[in-house]
Amino acid sequence: MIYVGSETARAKPCILVTEEANGSVYRGQDEVSLLRASLNGETEAWGEIVARYKDAVFGLCLGFLRNRADAEDVTHDAFIRAYDNLRRYRLEKRFSTWIFTIAANLCRNRLRYRRNHPVVESPPNLAGGSDPAVIVEREDRWQRIREGLSRLPYSYRAPLVLRFYNDLSYREIGEILSIPEGTVKTRIHRGKAMLKREVEREVIDHG
Amino acid sequence: MVKGEFDELLRDALHNEVKDAAGSLQGLEARIASELEGRLPRLRPSDRFRQLLAPTRAGRIGQLAVIGATAAAFLFLGVFIAHRTSLLPGPERLSPSLSASANREVLFVVPALDAKQVAVVGDFNGWEATPLSDDNHDGIWTANIPLSPGRYEYAFIIDGRWWGQDPLADEYVSSFGQYSSVRYVGGGGDGA
Repeated sequence: MIYVGSETARAKPCILVTEEANGSVYRGQDEVSLLRASLNGETEAWGEIVARYKDAVFGLCLGFLRNRADAEDVTHDAFIRAYDNLRRYRLEKRFSTWIFTIAANLCRNRLRYRRNHPVVESPPNLAGGSDPAVIVEREDRWQRIREGLSRLPYSYRAPLVLRFYNDLSYREIGEILSIPEGTVKTRIHRGKAMLKREVEREVIDHG
Repeated sequence: MVKGEFDELLRDALHNEVKDAAGSLQGLEARIASELEGRLPRLRPSDRFRQLLAPTRAGRIGQLAVIGATAAAFLFLGVFIAHRTSLLPGPERLSPSLSASANREVLFVVPALDAKQVAVVGDFNGWEATPLSDDNHDGIWTANIPLSPGRYEYAFIIDGRWWGQDPLADEYVSSFGQYSSVRYVGGGGDGA
C-alpha cells in the first residue's frame, strides 16, 4: 500500500510559497503535490483540492440527498473529514473515488438521521424559477426527472447519480457504494426503468 | 423517447440542477482552508496495529510469531549496541540506538531484518529522509549523523512506513496521532 506522503510524512512542504501571496501558486500544481503539501498542513493547497472537486462532490450530495441545505452541509463536512483522514488515502486509488466514498458515506448517515429527525422538505423545484409561463418544455422534463429521482429508493438513486452526474464507471460506483459491479449494472438499469415510469405517470396524472 | 434520449435528459437534469444551486459553493475553498488553519491531517495508530488483530486464530498465531521475532531482534540489538558502545570513552556511552561520540557523530541503529530501505527523519534533517545502510546484510541498519548538543525528535522510515517508537529512545512524543522518538544529545555526554 502506498500512502500519500508515506515516505516523507513529516517532511517539509514540497511546495514553497515564494512568488505569490494570494494562494494562486497552487493553481496548476499536480494533484499529488497538492496532497503532499496538504499533509504538511498547507491548508491553501487543500483549498485548491476543494476548488477542483467541490462541484462534483456537491452534485453527488445534492443528487443523493435531494435537499440543497443538507447537500451544502455534507459537502463541507466531506472535505473536512477527508483532510483529517488524508494519511489514510492510498495513492493506488483515484482521489476522486476516495473523496466520493467519503461523501457517499456522509450522505447515507445524513439520510438515516433525517429518517429519525424529519424536517419540512425543501420544495421539489430545487432550481427555483417555477413560473409556468417561463418554463420551457425541456426544463419541465428536467423537473419531472428530478422529482422522480427524489421518490426513488436511495439504493437506486445513488448509482444513477454517480453514473449520470459524476460519469463514473460501474467499477468505481461499486467501490464507492460497496456493492458488486453486477449489482451496480442491475440497479442502474432498474433505476432508470423506475424513473421513466415515474416521469411518464406524472405526465399522465397532470394531463 | 428514442434510446439514449432518456440518458441524456437525466444527465442534463442533474447537471443543470447543480449549476443552478452551485452559487452557494462560492468561496467554499477559502472557508475550508481558513477553518483548517493550523491543523494537520491525523494519523490513526490503529491502522498500523490492525493486522495484529487478525480475525482468525491462525492469523493471531502468525502475528505472535512476528512479535516474538521482533523481540528477539531487539535483544540482539541490545547486545550488539552494548558491544559497540563499550568501545567509546566512559562519559560518551549512550543508550544503544542513538549514541554520540566525542566529535558528536550520532549513531542511529534500527533492526529491520527483511527491510529493503531504511531511513531516519527528524528535526535535525528537516524531516527529510537520511538513509541508513546495512552493508553486511545482517538486518541491522545504521547511520552516523553529526549533531550538536540538544534535543532531537526523530523516527525511522522502514520500507516507507513510519516507525516512531525506538525502544531505546529517551522519550516519545505523540502528535497528530503518531509517535516520534526523542533523544537528548548533551554537551558533556548524552542526557540519557
